[in-house]
Amino acid sequence: MTTAPPTGRRYRPPAPLGGRRRADGPAGRGLKAAAFLAPALLILGAFTIWPMLSALRLSFTDASGFGEPEFIGLENYVQVFTDPDILNAVTNTALYTVLFTPIAVAAALALALLLNNPRLPFRGFFRTALFVPFVVSFSVAAFAWSYLVDPQVGLLNYWLRGLGIQLGNVLEDPHLAMPMVVLVAVWKLFGFYFVIFLAGLQDIPTSIYEAARMDGAGAWSRLRNVTLPLLSNTMAFVLIFAMIAALQAFDQIYVMTGGGPYGSTQTLVMEIYESGFRKLDIGFASALSYVLLAATLLLSLVQFVFFGRKEKDLA
Amino acid sequence: MKRKTVLIGGAGSAALALLGSGCSGGGETGGPATLTFWHGYTEADGDVLQGIVDDFNASQSDITINTEVKTWASIDDTLLTALSAGEGPDIVAMPAERLPVYADKGAFAELDDFYNDESSNTANLLPGAVAMVEIESRKYAVPTGFVPLAVYYNTALFEAAGVTAFPATWDEWVATAKQLTVDEDGDGTPEQYGVVLPDHATVANGLWPSLFYGNGGDIVSEVVDAVIDSPENAATLEFWRSAIVDDKISPTGVDGVGADELFSAGKAAMTIGGPWMASIATENNIEYAIAPIPAGPVAQAASAIGVAMAVTVDADDNARAAAEKFFAFFLNDDNAAAWSLGSGWPPLRSDVPAEAVNSNPVVASLTEIADLGRPLLPGVVNSVDVLAAIDELTQRAVAGEDIAGLLAEAQETVQGALD
Amino acid sequence: MRTRLRELRPSTVLATIAFIVVTAIVLLPIAIIVLTAFKPAAEVNAYPPSLLPDAWTLDNLKTVTSELPFARLVGNSFVFAGGVTIFALLFDSLAAYALARLDFTGRRVLLVVIIATLMIPFQATLIPLYQLVADLGWVNTYTGLIAPRAADAFGIFFLRQFFLALPRDIDQAARIDGAGEFRIFWSVLLPNAVPALLTLGLFTFVNNWNDLLWPLVFTTDTEMGTITSGLTQLTGPSGIVPHGVMMAGSLIAILPLVIAFLFIQRRFIENIATTGLK
Repeated sequence: MTTAPPTGRRYRPPAPLGGRRRADGPAGRGLKAAAFLAPALLILGAFTIWPMLSALRLSFTDASGFGEPEFIGLENYVQVFTDPDILNAVTNTALYTVLFTPIAVAAALALALLLNNPRLPFRGFFRTALFVPFVVSFSVAAFAWSYLVDPQVGLLNYWLRGLGIQLGNVLEDPHLAMPMVVLVAVWKLFGFYFVIFLAGLQDIPTSIYEAARMDGAGAWSRLRNVTLPLLSNTMAFVLIFAMIAALQAFDQIYVMTGGGPYGSTQTLVMEIYESGFRKLDIGFASALSYVLLAATLLLSLVQFVFFGRKEKDLA
Repeated sequence: MKRKTVLIGGAGSAALALLGSGCSGGGETGGPATLTFWHGYTEADGDVLQGIVDDFNASQSDITINTEVKTWASIDDTLLTALSAGEGPDIVAMPAERLPVYADKGAFAELDDFYNDESSNTANLLPGAVAMVEIESRKYAVPTGFVPLAVYYNTALFEAAGVTAFPATWDEWVATAKQLTVDEDGDGTPEQYGVVLPDHATVANGLWPSLFYGNGGDIVSEVVDAVIDSPENAATLEFWRSAIVDDKISPTGVDGVGADELFSAGKAAMTIGGPWMASIATENNIEYAIAPIPAGPVAQAASAIGVAMAVTVDADDNARAAAEKFFAFFLNDDNAAAWSLGSGWPPLRSDVPAEAVNSNPVVASLTEIADLGRPLLPGVVNSVDVLAAIDELTQRAVAGEDIAGLLAEAQETVQGALD
Repeated sequence: MRTRLRELRPSTVLATIAFIVVTAIVLLPIAIIVLTAFKPAAEVNAYPPSLLPDAWTLDNLKTVTSELPFARLVGNSFVFAGGVTIFALLFDSLAAYALARLDFTGRRVLLVVIIATLMIPFQATLIPLYQLVADLGWVNTYTGLIAPRAADAFGIFFLRQFFLALPRDIDQAARIDGAGEFRIFWSVLLPNAVPALLTLGLFTFVNNWNDLLWPLVFTTDTEMGTITSGLTQLTGPSGIVPHGVMMAGSLIAILPLVIAFLFIQRRFIENIATTGLK
């Protein structure tokens, strides 16, 4: 069994052997790569990238889904940046992302760290139980949570009332609705991040911990100086995908609040859906989607930079 | 339901040919046609509608109509995509307030010629029902339902509280509701409410418009002008906020669905609803009766729940002609009465004699009040934003915010949506 | 895991208690779904509410099975989610291999483009995608349902990361032995990637099984829908959702996933620890 190098960095490939380079010119490698990539690129190209390009074209038109769309230049984009509803949706989406991403990732990480303790009893059970919410669909999750916090017959409201906490009508409360829909997303998604962190943790050889312990490092110091740095790859991966999930928040909001009360849970994707499928303004919905795409791309790059990942590491 | 050929893994499947618009032939009309009809009548009304469709299919040999039953919400979710790719239905029924936006974007065929044709059986349709399918004075659909919102009340609770007559005015209504509100443990939260008045997402979005009408107010005038910021509407909001919050006759923060649930759980003595409340009440063993929304200081009126069916762009001329034949059949003397009886909605034609529908007590009660109904936002294309503005207005007003400020804000949003 | 008493430190006890509390909270909504599915309608809306049904009933399940062609819908869900999973695992791992192991010009750009496809909301591409699938004549077919999902950026990126972490020694050895790239991929890398494939497979299966918008919009024929999209049909007129019936439907929808997960979870998480470092 080969172990990871003691630096704990993800395994760096050795320099390619000289012989291979000579036998296998750039053209040959390109062809090989093309063969491996072809099926996936064909699917992605046809069913994701082509529709994306169509949407880009539509974003400069007044398309409604019927008839010939008319070219209207940047009008949709101008509207995106001037419409107060969009500003509200941007604010809400930002709030959602800022609430969801750290909470979900921190919860997943903390539980993974705790579960990684071999002395903990019932580890198998906890591990399984914490993952179960992930297999529940967002619509079912939203439905179950709505029922739990129903002001009339909600079990959670009833129990909390017994403890002297008046939850009130959570989904109709402009201050509580957003935390509530974030909570449902955390509940539904943290199990997946948790499993990924567990895998990352189990990748770290115990020999490093033993060495650290012999150097007199305490639990906190081992966490800060060994575990977290060695998890940084996993962390970057989880953070990026958690952030993308947050920026595209839609499902549970659609079911639980419909964007209300007073638009306080109206996110960008809710706005995109409403513009496209309720007001039949596909052109505007497409423009808004592209603005979201650009923002997501930018934020992802910031994250890569933050994690000290140079361009070289990314690809 | 017909079986469809399904190919797995094969490119260029032939299944397409079996589906969708059944557009055969070119511009000729009168030839054989197979039409798809999407609607959301999922209950007993769906069976009656299917019966009418079956009768139509049997009544002639050229045209076959296949129905596809979905929920109203999923029709709205899937229609745009399907039509954008030529895979949509030929005929689609939808809630009337969703009609203008589709018509405006060119999704539906204009039906003025059909209405002008004497054999279309449209001459005696209720004027309110026809108004709701008109966009810029052209007609784009045929109504399949038009009924004013009404009060459904729990007769057992009325009896227990000793109420004998149903209130006729707003003041009486509030007094009765107070009488029916029970707070046994005195904790300030009644266990039983006299009435449930949702403050947003009300049934068919019609509760607050109905109340506005009662005091002589309105929301939109002549499709283009927002008139929501009026002293009449301010007074209406003040009056009902005081009744809901101070007199506690209704819970706050409830939506239309929640209202129906409270009524069917016996926790509210009155609710404002549509004809389906009758079957919901029966299912929940609640004895009920139906009454008109009591008169406001100025008028007695109620926003109407409307449903209409339209011919889509996916229907060619031949299919459109076939669809019109079906519409005329649907509206003929026999079916107008049969549909009303079976669906539990009042007849769409004013010339259906009362005796024809007396056998269904719900229909009989609703028919009596049918002329109180006003279509909701007829012809308003961006009803989404207008309705959202009303929801925000009423929800914030009931929550205690400044009504004058809210109305000014709503006025601006509504006007913005109309421009 | 056996725990000897003397090893129980206060911190472990605290952690155990914390886990019991967290797990209980996490499982509460699941319990609500399962238990409400067996509650009679009167109890579902009763106050005060209770967790357990007083009188257990199968009425809700019967209603679901009579209102929905549920066997057909569950079958469709298996075909859709299963089909997507098989194709996506194959195509994603092939692409990931090229991105992790083969040097070619434009690799970096390609990776960024692939990741960028995740950043546009599905709602935005839905209409052009549907038009394309309709042009191909695939509306209301399994092909049309599955093909657009047969490769996905998340899977490619996930497996690429995993392949990068596998030591190059293992494929260099095979390469020196004269093995071709496909042999190296198929016989050397893939067998080492089983835990990652299981994880991604589960993720893909669950996500597609639970997807609402695509099957809902794609299938104009109720018979071609999935169980997840079928649940929307349980909403009554006026939007009232009968809670008991909906929970029974939800139970039917999640049961196959929970069972599948319980079957593979042991392999999937424990093996992921080895990440192929054999």
